[in-house]
Amino acid sequence: MSGLKVYKSIDATSSSCSGPIGELSGAMNDALPGECVEIVVGDQATRDDVRVWAAKTGNRVIVDREEQGKFRMVIEKVK
Amino acid sequence: MKNILVAGGGIGGTIVANRIAQKLGEEIRRGEVAVSVFDRSEHHYYQPGFLLVSMGVMEPEETSLPEREVLDRRVKLYSGDKGTVTKISVGDRQLTTADGSVYKYDVLVIATGSHIQMDEVPGFSQGAETFFSLEGAKKMLKAVQSFSGGNIVVDVALLPHKCPVAPLEITLMLDDYFRKKGIRDKVNIHYCYPIQGVFGIPNVNKMMLGLFESRGVNVHSQFTLASVDAANRKIVSKEGEELRYDLLVAVPPHKGAQVIADSGLGDRRNWVPTDKYTLRLKDHDDVYVMGDTTDIPISKAGSTADYESYTVAHNVAVDVKGDGSRKTYPGSVFCYIATGMDQATYIKFDYNNPPTPPTPSQIHWWGKLAYNKLYWSIHARTLI
Repeated sequence: MSGLKVYKSIDATSSSCSGPIGELSGAMNDALPGECVEIVVGDQATRDDVRVWAAKTGNRVIVDREEQGKFRMVIEKVK
Repeated sequence: MKNILVAGGGIGGTIVANRIAQKLGEEIRRGEVAVSVFDRSEHHYYQPGFLLVSMGVMEPEETSLPEREVLDRRVKLYSGDKGTVTKISVGDRQLTTADGSVYKYDVLVIATGSHIQMDEVPGFSQGAETFFSLEGAKKMLKAVQSFSGGNIVVDVALLPHKCPVAPLEITLMLDDYFRKKGIRDKVNIHYCYPIQGVFGIPNVNKMMLGLFESRGVNVHSQFTLASVDAANRKIVSKEGEELRYDLLVAVPPHKGAQVIADSGLGDRRNWVPTDKYTLRLKDHDDVYVMGDTTDIPISKAGSTADYESYTVAHNVAVDVKGDGSRKTYPGSVFCYIATGMDQATYIKFDYNNPPTPPTPSQIHWWGKLAYNKLYWSIHARTLI
């Protein structure tokens, strides 16, 4: 991911009270426009949730790939 | 002499210091080890009790004791300026306090907690009631008791925050409170959450959505709080939704302690990068981080800190003694969830096993009250 400014990486493969989207939304709140947040999720449903959340909030998924049964995604803060 | 320093005397710092003192009692007695806790306050607050204070279930004075009474007598306590940590220098293995003193450590535990940010959202401190401080809980109780009808809006400003289930609890407690008072038909309850649904764990979310629907709670999500207009009694979301309130009960944004920022240890929200299994500060083998202080995506709750303290205390003892096998933290969390003024359920989970909350019942309500009552005598003093 050379060239990307990753503000924070989140391992969201375990149970969390805020949930993957809650953790992601919190980190994106603090990221600056142009910076990215990397998140690893453990299942396809959560991957879909991240895609929907990014689209709804006007942010951009720039990496979205399966790695060893998990899904690594990088979301860029657009505004 | 090996110095074990604990920065922070909240639930996490106090419990871990007591466990360390128990594990290294002989070494302390021989003068080979010293355990010290640093906190600005001389009082220890049981913050999970603030929710119950705000609904008149618990008395304010039940939520605090002098820290000295809670700490093991073998643990040294620094408070006031002497206990206010202003800088943590992991390179020099030392911390500095507000009176200018410098303390060297062999092992450091950072348990400086999370702190509410009442001024981060415009208008929040002017318009919102919150039970995330003792004074706020006392003020909110008056507002609840004098409320005679209208719109109650429960809002979560930003995730993550401490006591993640508390917004669910206060919503269902308010519903039940006004039912029992006989004026529920005059009260509209709205729940606003910054992500889709009402909670982040899928099966808890599903259960709570069902409860909210059956209890007539209106859900607004995704609703990310942008501002509070106290003069006109309305809140506005980043998604563009406006909601009028007569009583706003809100969870403010949280941040880690300022000393984390001043020491260059955390992210922009002052959460400290922590290995989720070893609970060590990443890239440092002589610094542990626990409780709300960490950046671990789990639960910022007293029970998390309590569970983590077993791992941290054990491994600190291994570090000091130089032998023994280390433990890892499995991600254990246990939280009661009040679903009314006399019923509750609970969640128990770890990294690999999501929770399955049981059907709400009065038995779990009594369990929640008993847990709160027993905190001072059992949990804080680490009798178990």
